[in-house]
Amino acid sequence: MKLLRQAREVARVDLVVEGRVGETLRVIVPFAVAALLVLPLAQGPNLALLRQVGAAVFWTLAVLFGMQIALRQSANDTDARRDFYALSGVDPAARFLGRTVSGTILLTVFLAVLFLATLALYDPPVAGGDLPALVLAVVLFAYGLAALATLAGEVSAGLRSRGALASLIVAPLSLPLVLGAAQTAAGIGRDAGILSWSLLLLATDIALTVVGIAVAGPLEEART
Amino acid sequence: MTRVRIWFALAGVALAAGLWMALSAPVDALQGVWFRLFYIHVSTMWFGMLAFLVTAVASIAWLIRKKQRWDRLAAASVEAGVLFTGIGLVVGMIWGKAVWGVAWDWEDPRLASTAVMFFVYLGYLALRAAVGDPEARARRSAVLGAIAAVQVPLVYFSVNLFRTLHQTQTVRPDGMTMSPEMRPAFFVNLLAFTLLYVALVQARTFVAKREEARSQIEVAAGDAVVPPRLDEVHDV
Repeated sequence: MKLLRQAREVARVDLVVEGRVGETLRVIVPFAVAALLVLPLAQGPNLALLRQVGAAVFWTLAVLFGMQIALRQSANDTDARRDFYALSGVDPAARFLGRTVSGTILLTVFLAVLFLATLALYDPPVAGGDLPALVLAVVLFAYGLAALATLAGEVSAGLRSRGALASLIVAPLSLPLVLGAAQTAAGIGRDAGILSWSLLLLATDIALTVVGIAVAGPLEEART
Repeated sequence: MTRVRIWFALAGVALAAGLWMALSAPVDALQGVWFRLFYIHVSTMWFGMLAFLVTAVASIAWLIRKKQRWDRLAAASVEAGVLFTGIGLVVGMIWGKAVWGVAWDWEDPRLASTAVMFFVYLGYLALRAAVGDPEARARRSAVLGAIAAVQVPLVYFSVNLFRTLHQTQTVRPDGMTMSPEMRPAFFVNLLAFTLLYVALVQARTFVAKREEARSQIEVAAGDAVVPPRLDEVHDV
């Protein structure tokens, strides 16, 4: 219980800091929406093609800009903040969980905005389907990406090339998350079975959580 | 150093023998001479995956024991693994282009998962290069080395989990799916790449050990020993 309480507090502090800095909403989200304009401008206004590739573009940008959100500067602990957490007795595992939760919330908001922008600009076919299942898949994807990025951020913490290095680690390892989320969304649209893809998402999230909690302590030692 | 040279000499002899046997083995009835690439492709991919598993074991051993030799082994094994996997991918693409008609089949999960694994270990090497402090480097790399190995069984069994264009394992618990006349060439190539893997790991751990010794001497000497600057040499 203490771990969860600490994690909740870390997540709250993270969101307050992010609210003040505004990196996600003021910089990364507009950048991602601007990136949606590149393909139609480069390809020409081929509406049929844009409808066809809309979902693929959405998931590509979700990963690329989702990594930026999860690895945002405000989630990069300064030595002072790290010392503050250590002296306050905050468990490194709670910090991992808290950061993952705050990243999940920000990513979910980002994905919602990106989804609406993709819908407006590309008009991809969206079947009615099972909306709660789709929302659950998106949240599981956001959680997994946030956990993976938190882990990669810790591994590369304090390094000058942190941004590029953490992205290099996250991008290939996020494959099961992208596969699971994209196939679940596509399955809902086609009224096909989504259980196996949803389970893949869930299993990846659980594995990342277990690993993140297990290695939080050793990674904390690496910085001291 | 002599031991490393002996390993390389043995590997060189075995590779030459493997190449000769691969070229003189009977051709495949359907694939023709292109099948000869199989001997290199399978051997390099096997040892790529094996190298990453060795890294995982060495990484876990480092996290438990904190002995520097485990870190050296982990790093050396990843370098060999990345080299073998890179060669295996390129050879596989050439082979695929010749017999499938395409170098890269997006419906084949073995190809995609191998590429992902390859890039994760490139990330591992980039991480090692970015961290200066040996202790921090060993710790961070050990965590990543242990986590990244989760992909290895997924890559290996992907051809069984999904039915694709890629052929399934040649060596199975119930026997080999290969003509008896081709087996000697296959086993000699496996032996050759085993020796090459050992030689590369030995050489890399030897170099890493020397580098550590040099940095320890530099730390101990401090500013007492300063190398001459070029402009000072010219002044004289």
